[in-house]
Amino acid sequence: MPATPAFDDHRPPSLELVEDCVHCGFCLPTCPTYSLWGEEMDSPRGRIYLMETGLAGEPMTDTMVQHFDACLGCMACVTACPSGVQYDKLIEATRAQVERRHTRTVDERLLRAAIFALFPYPRRLRLVRGPLRLYQRSGLERALRRTGILNRTPRLAALESLAPKLGRNVQIPERIRAAGRKRATVGMLLGCVQREFFPNVNVATARILQAEGCEVVVPKGQGCCGALSVHNGREPEAQRFARAMIDSFDRADVEYVVVNAAGCGSSMKEYAELLAGEPAYAERAKTFAGRVRDISEILVELGPVAPRHPLPMVAAYHDACHLAHAQGVRSQPRQLLAGIPGLEVREIADPMICCGSAGIYNVLYPEPARELGDRKAAAVLATGAELLITANPGCLMQVASSIQRQGGSIAMAHTTEVLDASIRGVALVRSPKRRRLVDHVRAISKPGAISKLRAISKRGRQLRRRDGDPEQARRASHIRRSA
Amino acid sequence: MDIQQLAARLRSEIGEANVLTDRAQLRTYECDGLAVHKVMPAIVTLPATTEHVQAVVRACVETNVPYVARGSGTGLSGGALPHADGVLIVTSKLRSILELDADNERAVLQPGVVNLDITRAAAPYGYYFAPDPSSQQICSIGGNVAENSGGAHCLKYGFTTNHVTGVQLVSPTGELVPLGGKAPDPPGYDLLGAFVGSEGTLGIATEVTVRLMRAPESVRTLLAAFASTDDAGAAVSSIIGAGVIPAAIEMMDALAIEAAEAAVQCNYPQGAGAVLIVELDGPASEVEAQFEQVEQHCAAARAAEIRIAADDAERALFWKGRKSAFAAVGRISPDYIVQDGVIPRTALPQVLRRMGELAAKHGIRVANVFHAGDGNLHPLVLFDDAVTGEAERAEELSGAILDLCIEYGGSITGEHGVGMDKAKHMPRMYTDDDLDTMQLLRCAFDPDHLSNPGKIFPTPRLCGEVPGRHKGAHPLQEQGLAEVF
Amino acid sequence: MTGAAVLDDLGKVVDDRVRPAGDEDAIEGVRPSYCATPSSTEETAELLRVAAQHSLHVVARGAGTKQHWGKPPLRVDLVVDLTGVAGVVEHAAGDLITIVRAGTAVTDLQATLAENDQQLALDARFAAATVGGTVATNTSGPRRVLYGTLRDLLIGITFVRADGVVAKAGGRVVKNVAGYDFAKLLTGSYGTLGVITEVALRCHPLPRTRRVASIEVPDGEVAADLARRVLCSQIVPSAVEVTQPATGPASVGVLLEGVEAGVGARAEVARELLGVTSQIGDLPGSFDSYPFGPGDVGLKISTTLSGVGPVLKSARGVGDRHGVPVSVGGSAAGVLYAGMPADSDPAVVERVLAELRAIAGAYDGTVVVLTAPAATRRALDMWGPIRGLDLMRRLKDQLDPEHRLSPGRFVGGI
Repeated sequence: MPATPAFDDHRPPSLELVEDCVHCGFCLPTCPTYSLWGEEMDSPRGRIYLMETGLAGEPMTDTMVQHFDACLGCMACVTACPSGVQYDKLIEATRAQVERRHTRTVDERLLRAAIFALFPYPRRLRLVRGPLRLYQRSGLERALRRTGILNRTPRLAALESLAPKLGRNVQIPERIRAAGRKRATVGMLLGCVQREFFPNVNVATARILQAEGCEVVVPKGQGCCGALSVHNGREPEAQRFARAMIDSFDRADVEYVVVNAAGCGSSMKEYAELLAGEPAYAERAKTFAGRVRDISEILVELGPVAPRHPLPMVAAYHDACHLAHAQGVRSQPRQLLAGIPGLEVREIADPMICCGSAGIYNVLYPEPARELGDRKAAAVLATGAELLITANPGCLMQVASSIQRQGGSIAMAHTTEVLDASIRGVALVRSPKRRRLVDHVRAISKPGAISKLRAISKRGRQLRRRDGDPEQARRASHIRRSA
Repeated sequence: MDIQQLAARLRSEIGEANVLTDRAQLRTYECDGLAVHKVMPAIVTLPATTEHVQAVVRACVETNVPYVARGSGTGLSGGALPHADGVLIVTSKLRSILELDADNERAVLQPGVVNLDITRAAAPYGYYFAPDPSSQQICSIGGNVAENSGGAHCLKYGFTTNHVTGVQLVSPTGELVPLGGKAPDPPGYDLLGAFVGSEGTLGIATEVTVRLMRAPESVRTLLAAFASTDDAGAAVSSIIGAGVIPAAIEMMDALAIEAAEAAVQCNYPQGAGAVLIVELDGPASEVEAQFEQVEQHCAAARAAEIRIAADDAERALFWKGRKSAFAAVGRISPDYIVQDGVIPRTALPQVLRRMGELAAKHGIRVANVFHAGDGNLHPLVLFDDAVTGEAERAEELSGAILDLCIEYGGSITGEHGVGMDKAKHMPRMYTDDDLDTMQLLRCAFDPDHLSNPGKIFPTPRLCGEVPGRHKGAHPLQEQGLAEVF
Repeated sequence: MTGAAVLDDLGKVVDDRVRPAGDEDAIEGVRPSYCATPSSTEETAELLRVAAQHSLHVVARGAGTKQHWGKPPLRVDLVVDLTGVAGVVEHAAGDLITIVRAGTAVTDLQATLAENDQQLALDARFAAATVGGTVATNTSGPRRVLYGTLRDLLIGITFVRADGVVAKAGGRVVKNVAGYDFAKLLTGSYGTLGVITEVALRCHPLPRTRRVASIEVPDGEVAADLARRVLCSQIVPSAVEVTQPATGPASVGVLLEGVEAGVGARAEVARELLGVTSQIGDLPGSFDSYPFGPGDVGLKISTTLSGVGPVLKSARGVGDRHGVPVSVGGSAAGVLYAGMPADSDPAVVERVLAELRAIAGAYDGTVVVLTAPAATRRALDMWGPIRGLDLMRRLKDQLDPEHRLSPGRFVGGI
């Protein structure tokens, strides 16, 4: 073959792992892109095959890259594969090779540069908060959406539709004492998008850990875990973030590092592989990775001590891919939710199929992400639940935006927010600025949405705030409305 | 005819998005579930409508280009192996359930509909689609029709052919032909019966009408561990001999159990030489009575442990190990060949013993998974390609196993089909006259020999010729449309 | 070639088991010249080779119980009497299969199988019918509901082609997908594709107990409705028959088979589904016979499940309107038989047929005239519209290019 082979010698996808694939096809029905397009090259089996041909000398063409890029990295195939093919390792290695050796179009490069200049930097995200909040509250958002201009630029539209409603920001102290007998000292990851856009989730997480007897250490100056970077092939950047993260938490001297964002947790558990080639960090990375726990894992591991108060609601639990597939954490969140009296948790149909968020996938590839989001939204709405619980900010934004697009309405919360409410004995609450919410809905939703909201009130599932402090309420509203 | 020209024509007729000519993309279609054979097609088409399928076939007929149909690409006999100079017609975009008619116990499906999805759609009405190949979560109904797929429950319920009442097909001459329908016993020749299992050589199904079965009132499943396959086989014989027809009886030997355990942690009894899964279904009162009998027969055959599934979840776990067995074997061996021989059930113990002797003689391990109820064996011949000579010995052993099946009056394929993989073994089972006669059917449908050529028959037959020996190269060989084994 | 020469050549194959044909050998008024009785597949093959040499038109015959079915042959020269190719070759009870020669009477086969507590789960409608004839005409009865028909029971076949070549397909194991399923092609082919000499069939255990629940109801529609409820329930009946005589009430009969404890419980459920006036009793006569006798007009109607009621209603209606008694009886699974007396006016029969075809067609079904008196046949399109006829003709052309096997008896003039 005259052209250059697709992969070079620096950490190519492993031939040994590739050869584990027996071509049985069990992964196809769980793959989101195969479920959308029905084409072999956009299935795990097909992508592995492309890797194999690349390793055998086929060149890295635009087409080949296109199919690697289209992979959401949801790992549903890893769960489904009876032969134990480690597709996660394969796609990560492949993406790094693509990033290094393939030249993308100018547009693509600019977009990726912009994303990676913003998302992994909490301080920069904070700078965006102000203007974004203004945009949302001033009526500019309403006006812009009415014009439909955004529809002409799908990526911008995607970004715009994904942006959650922002409340006031919150600071979390560096050290939080355990309530009652101390059972463990844990570190807590603040995240980037989580920290700036869903601070209440961090508040809830810290409170739960405290209530369950953990001393919580929140290292100041902790940065990004590098998940988005490693999932998109930006290896040196990811390694840089990983080293900094390990440094932050090593200084803190904790038994566990608790994470409340699925994508982050899965990445951090793989630091050993990411830094395997660096003598100064290889051992530390292994130790660190061994300490990482998703919040639901650690709570089940420790065992609940804080009493739960009833939350009489019907909820649906959505498995974030990086929690269920990448980390194998499925039963723990369900166990925790089952421990809340009065809470009925319904399963969503086709739970294995990704919602389309997949990190920044929904920004890079808005059309397939939108289709997947719509399917997930329909499945969620079909459960008849009034509350959607999930463990990843990305999923939350994606499903929210999809439900809104379908004119539906459902409350959303992170697993920790639900658990926190139960431990504190408060009801989950709708933001007090109801009228604004209703106006907003009228502006952008389909006609039926208003009556749906009102109908929910009539049925008495109105969520009331019983805590006294309205200021706290504004700062820590527990529910994100989909409108 | 130039391939580029044909591609251009196809693009204009069925849409750019549905025609692939990029090399990287073509390569992903070069094999089906039998990955050891690879052939890159010249063009891949993904029709989205029946009209598209017809247009592609017609274009191929008019330009004398061979074509091969492919469903989900999970077949195990190379039936969907492309033709190097031909067009691959993939049905995965034809995946709508056109009609679910529970009142008449029928469903009408496009060929790309996944087997399990039929049952999922019928379940709310209390019905299901009986043929359940182990790959049912991904294999397509079109593929099932082509191969006459079986599955664990075909002992009691039959194969795909017993559950298809109608097909609309694009014939190899490009016509849209309806056969059968929702009502039973259509008059005339049972072309439908011949089409099912014809492995894509008689045309492409664009609609399939299937019979749905009423979900049984009761299902009871039992897992029994035995010290050896002999004992397990004896249990099978006595169960059947007592007049009990279970819905399924499956057996796995120690190696297969090891693989399944590694893959899905099914937690089968440790140290078992063989494991039997017996499932009974039907009216509750019948099932109860028969289940007791089955338990007794297993105990009498010296079952070391008997587990009874307490609920659906446990039942699913029993089956998980069995259904993952093939793919799971990849964990205990770098390479393997999966066979699909059939023997009369009563010959099971002797055949297994002889197979063990053959395996030892060749120095190759064989894991066994099979539908004990109907004698359909799936010996998994394990080898390491990296070790010199092992691949050859594995091939030899595979052939010897097939000979063994024929010796005992069985078949070279129970459900995977002949495809291209077993075409060379057909003369072990059939005489030249038999094969010749079968090809008369093929000539009736496909006089130009363009529909999946080179599959099933080792020596193709020119249509219109008088049967007899050929001197020199066969004309179809010269055209590159066929090979002689 | 003179008749004597032909006889001579035939005699070389079967010695004295060939003779000039007599009146009794006529098939629907068409008189053959010779009748030969081979005693094996090989002899049958030889006979057909001789026939090919002399371009003879051949019709195979078993016990002759259904010679009057199908259209009359355009021409017959040689009748091959298969009753000499008889006997159960093997009954592998442990494998639940049997290999039997085509000329064996089905009742004899059943007797042999019963020695090991097994059966061929196919209902015999003609006492003397041979296995080969049953396959060639694809007859079936009430128990198709549970066991299927020959499509589901035939696993292997040996037959002789028009050119005298012996071919086989399938095998002796139930599970077999090697090669094309010629057994299915030959089933119901009315002898037009080849002469069947041996078949392999799957057997079933004889049931321990059976029980019949039945009920009499005012009309066919009520019967069809009740029957469907039973059919779609979970009691797994072996047969669900509806009977609607030319006049008077209709009835439903449900056959249940299995172990004693099970059958009892299921019969109770059947009674609940049928209604308070239902009873447990014996098999009604209609289980074993068609609603038409020798010489009558006999029809086979197929329809979807939901078409059974409308077909019954239509049959009664058209019978009443045209003043011809139409009796109908068959399976709720959608295969019904109808009969009209031998002396029915052909024009009326034609109208009845047209209406029944229309209603069956509305439910994706068909109507075939199995048999009728000679004058009536001539007025009717016995087979009706056929899906895939073109391909069927091409198949016939491949297997019997000279159209010498049962010419004209089948669909589309085949």
